[in-house]
Amino acid sequence: MRLGLVLGLVVLAGALLPLGLPRYLLTVLTEGLIFGLFAMSLDLMVGYTRLYSFGHAAAYGLGAYSAALILTHLHWPLPIALVLAVLTTLLVAIPIAWVCTKSTGVSFAMLTLAFAQLGYAMLFRFKEVTGGSDGIDGVPRPAGPFGIDWFQGETGYFYLVLFCLVGSYLLSRAIVRSPFGAVLAGIRENEAKARSLGYNTRAYKMTTVVLAYGFGGLAGALYAPFAGFASPELFFWLVSGRVLIMVIVGGAGTLIGPIFGGAFFLFLEHQLSEITDLWPLIFGSLFIGFVLLAPQGIFGIVAGRLRRKERAAPGGGEEAPDAAA
Amino acid sequence: MPLLELKGLSRRFGALVAVDAVDMGIEAGEIRAVIGPNGAGKSTLFNLITGLFRPSAGAVYFAGADITGLPAHQIAGYGIARTFQLTHLFPQLTARENVRIAAQARDKGRWQLLGGGGVLARTAALADEALERMRLSPLADRPAALLSHGDQRLLEVAMAIAQKPRLLMLDEPTQGLSIEETDHAVDNLKAALAGGELTMILVEHDMEVVFKLADNITVLHRGHVIADGPAAAVRADPVVQRAYLGGAE
Repeated sequence: MRLGLVLGLVVLAGALLPLGLPRYLLTVLTEGLIFGLFAMSLDLMVGYTRLYSFGHAAAYGLGAYSAALILTHLHWPLPIALVLAVLTTLLVAIPIAWVCTKSTGVSFAMLTLAFAQLGYAMLFRFKEVTGGSDGIDGVPRPAGPFGIDWFQGETGYFYLVLFCLVGSYLLSRAIVRSPFGAVLAGIRENEAKARSLGYNTRAYKMTTVVLAYGFGGLAGALYAPFAGFASPELFFWLVSGRVLIMVIVGGAGTLIGPIFGGAFFLFLEHQLSEITDLWPLIFGSLFIGFVLLAPQGIFGIVAGRLRRKERAAPGGGEEAPDAAA
Repeated sequence: MPLLELKGLSRRFGALVAVDAVDMGIEAGEIRAVIGPNGAGKSTLFNLITGLFRPSAGAVYFAGADITGLPAHQIAGYGIARTFQLTHLFPQLTARENVRIAAQARDKGRWQLLGGGGVLARTAALADEALERMRLSPLADRPAALLSHGDQRLLEVAMAIAQKPRLLMLDEPTQGLSIEETDHAVDNLKAALAGGELTMILVEHDMEVVFKLADNITVLHRGHVIADGPAAAVRADPVVQRAYLGGAE
């Protein structure tokens, strides 16, 4: 109930915000929401299934390049390009997920990283299509279908991103609360036990990876027409590292935490990078601070506050022991 | 035809033969105890039957089907449920959710990605029933990690029962329990078995527990079956006395 209220307020604020916001901030906010969506997609793997990916940039880059290619060469309407980019990402994700889920733990992380780096290398190998180090420039936002064009301006695009984010969030929330999602929790807690109960855990993990790629691909696909370009950096391992930090700082296993983590960090980065070149130092210190002092992330702190307040209220219910992390 | 049949089942680890050409047949409705000193190969035998290890030689038949070397999740799908010697749970989830996930593994809707309220509701009902049978209902909403060791062992049995298995395999269900907890566990197990429709294999060190529960006993020693038969006969067998019961009985 409370969560729904908070969510409603956030969406309402998001919907009203662009009306009185300077253009520059609106752009930063839009990018923040895109990164929030990207971080949320990784949370399906990291927070719910304990699959640590160090190559989630692959999903982002795949979505961005698919969208950029469709939009610049075919000039198909933006919404259709987004759908096709997500489908492409899902399709490519299947063999990747198949290979990566053959292993676990560190080797899983390394395999995901390897695939992202493979994508990065292929951009340079197939210059004619991808534009090599220049990437793809001048990605348009073609109108349609049925003459819809409200997303072409900056404010409209913000709404499009907000719509995709809220939709993806609601979908992901339904997934983690479904019977399928319950099995993911079981795999996270004790994979051997889940297997001995009769679950084909590898198939569940594969599905999770593919889904995470799909949502991550949507984020990338939204980014290319937002920035107007797709460049090899989108596939770079730094992007994978950054999004992992955003998930952990935001609060893994909460979906909403990583959204705020992603948006918050992007915003911070924009602000700090104007003041000092040393912003990665501040970034890193913040990360260390969170891991040491607040391993549940931003959302964990907020949710903990709310719960404590509830308990402090008269007749605050029975004691609910916080399960040791 | 026995429900479970092992033919020449063997498993080598390098030079060590942990399980050596074991032949065994378990009839439907039977309660069989497998006993033997540490290192006799009891847990390895369990792992071979349930697909955690692949046999080096021999075959496993369940209800007439050859299940030798199948992956663990497929063998579970035949209706074989087990518990582990060291408790295997989902520690951060509630007791009810632990059992519910176990029940869900046998539900057609276990893969449902969206919605699934119906699946969750009917498996929750099965979970509550299994918790009730193990007398764990008052603890249903606690995270499994916060239960006592004895209750955790019972919870694992409840998870197995919730799957409505055709064959239940318990690996030392009373291991590490106090005397009172053991009595409590045996009572609950007896109550759960009262219907008589369940077939069970039990690895156990506590001979009192074995004689209270088992119809028949198989004695393993260094991977071999050295005795096999009704509980009273095995108890009196001089070979068993020497190898395992150590004359103290």
